[in-house]
Amino acid sequence: MLSFLLKRLGFACVTLICVLSAVFVLVRILPGDPALVILGDQASPASVAALNERLGLDRPIWVQYLSFLGSVLQGDLGTSMVTGRPVTEEILHVLPYTIELTIAALALGVLLGVPAGVLAAVQRNRFPDFLMRILSLVGLSLPAFVGAIILLMIFAIRLPWFPIISAGGGDDLLERLRHMALPTLSLALIMTAYITRVTRSAMLEVLSQDFVRTARAKGAPGWAVIWRHALGNCLIPITTVVGLYLGILIGNSVLTEIVFSRPGLGKLILMALSQRDYTLLQGLIVIYTLMVVVVNLLTDLTYGFLDPRVQYK
Amino acid sequence: MTGVPLPEDRQAEVPAISAGKSRTFLARLNLSTWIGLAVVLLLVLAAVFAPLLAPYDPTRQNILNQLAQPGAEYLLGADQFGRDVLSRLLYGARYSLTIGILSILLAMVAGSLAGMVAGHLGGKTDIVLMQFMDVVLAFPSLILGLALVAMMGATMTNILIAIAFTALPAFARVARAAVMAQRDREYVQACRAMGFSGPRILFRHILPAILPEVLVMASLWMATAVRTEASLAFIGLGLAPPNPTWGGMVREGFDNILNSFHLAIFPSLAILLLVLAFNLIGDGLRDAIDPRLKTAS
Repeated sequence: MLSFLLKRLGFACVTLICVLSAVFVLVRILPGDPALVILGDQASPASVAALNERLGLDRPIWVQYLSFLGSVLQGDLGTSMVTGRPVTEEILHVLPYTIELTIAALALGVLLGVPAGVLAAVQRNRFPDFLMRILSLVGLSLPAFVGAIILLMIFAIRLPWFPIISAGGGDDLLERLRHMALPTLSLALIMTAYITRVTRSAMLEVLSQDFVRTARAKGAPGWAVIWRHALGNCLIPITTVVGLYLGILIGNSVLTEIVFSRPGLGKLILMALSQRDYTLLQGLIVIYTLMVVVVNLLTDLTYGFLDPRVQYK
Repeated sequence: MTGVPLPEDRQAEVPAISAGKSRTFLARLNLSTWIGLAVVLLLVLAAVFAPLLAPYDPTRQNILNQLAQPGAEYLLGADQFGRDVLSRLLYGARYSLTIGILSILLAMVAGSLAGMVAGHLGGKTDIVLMQFMDVVLAFPSLILGLALVAMMGATMTNILIAIAFTALPAFARVARAAVMAQRDREYVQACRAMGFSGPRILFRHILPAILPEVLVMASLWMATAVRTEASLAFIGLGLAPPNPTWGGMVREGFDNILNSFHLAIFPSLAILLLVLAFNLIGDGLRDAIDPRLKTAS
């Protein structure tokens, strides 16, 4: 177990370093001199040179690369080109909002998607199955911002049940939940669609197996066969999906946050893009990727808890 | 995690596919596949004949008709500059379809080539190529596309390349896996024994065997590509205005959502329709190519 853990960790670290290198290259290939971008076209050569020196852009490329790697590994993502504040600080300030939203959407997606998938599998080729199949296909074809806009129009504008601007809601728990409800639901719809589909196909496969017939034959009640015997054996594919799609959810949260004007990494990305703040953008990409790498690692580790037959090697 | 080669959002559903040829291929396509094909075809026709179909010039502004509601004059209303929404939707279809289809064709050719070469040569080439693909996979595709377009500038070619890039590893993986699976088959050994060159074996003999699988992937990926393009445009990384892109229209409509929600809703539905159609085609082709899956799903 320990050696498996170390191996996975090592693998994650290698991926991370490759990703950091990719980000470094990506930012360096951008057309134009960053100093010129910051100072504007009218800047004098002297001030451009001075800024280049301050940003360390006058050093050889490999020195820049190593110092970039070094500081990122120490949690230092540089200073924002626009606000002058440390990027790490800017990101940590809003990161909790994004994580909160993503986890809430994931939880809701599982709560809705698993029963929907089980229902569809059990009622195969009957009305509930067709309904679930259509809904889930629409759900996974729905771009995150389209779902968000539709929800916003119905439940915030037509029916003023929820705030139009989900800014956070302050300390009041109920108010906070009211502010989170629509963004969470809009992200969860997508997750629900994925989970419904995979639950359905995993259940169909499991339901046709011998041990399910045996369970029925020995007189186990119908609900126990489905929810305990069968569903228990679907947990691995479901977890795989949850892990895979959590990465997509994190990416899509950008769109949801923009539609609902919710604080979070999405708003920061918009800011970085509109103000050409490349250090901030670079930091954000690193954070997003870091989250995906961590999620993948956690997914791998979860398998062993769900299925004792999985051997960690 | 297993490397399954579908769009990141469709991965877990699918097992390795064993491709089989069939004379009754068309007959095996189900109704929803035909619906998907029909929708895509209609949209392609609408895009091609946009100049004939569009009642107005999609970029002509008309101050008198700002935010006109849908009605006889403007079937789907007019936007904040008084431009006809229907005309803009028709022209917008050109961008969504071109980017969606071409970017994936590009990824399909480049990715499959890289994967086939990696699988065939093995060794260091394989390790380097596939490690590169793994790194690309570590980025959420929307974030990667966003970063690339932001860095390179939002032109048609750049958006196309950026989206192709996000799909690259998937095609490389499936092609590599397929080549590895075929490599030790008897017909390949026979080719070798006859002294055929590597490229000839790869392209004349192995390629036809893995093609169906690659095509199914391509249609599912086109759905993802259209969605990514629309999302980028919605964030503000689409083609520059006044080009009518669907995502850009939603973005502009969103500013007037309180009084004229039709501005955001019509392009949203257009995007949904196209993505759905590609997904229907992909699912249908997959079932048709591998009947074993049909019984499971």
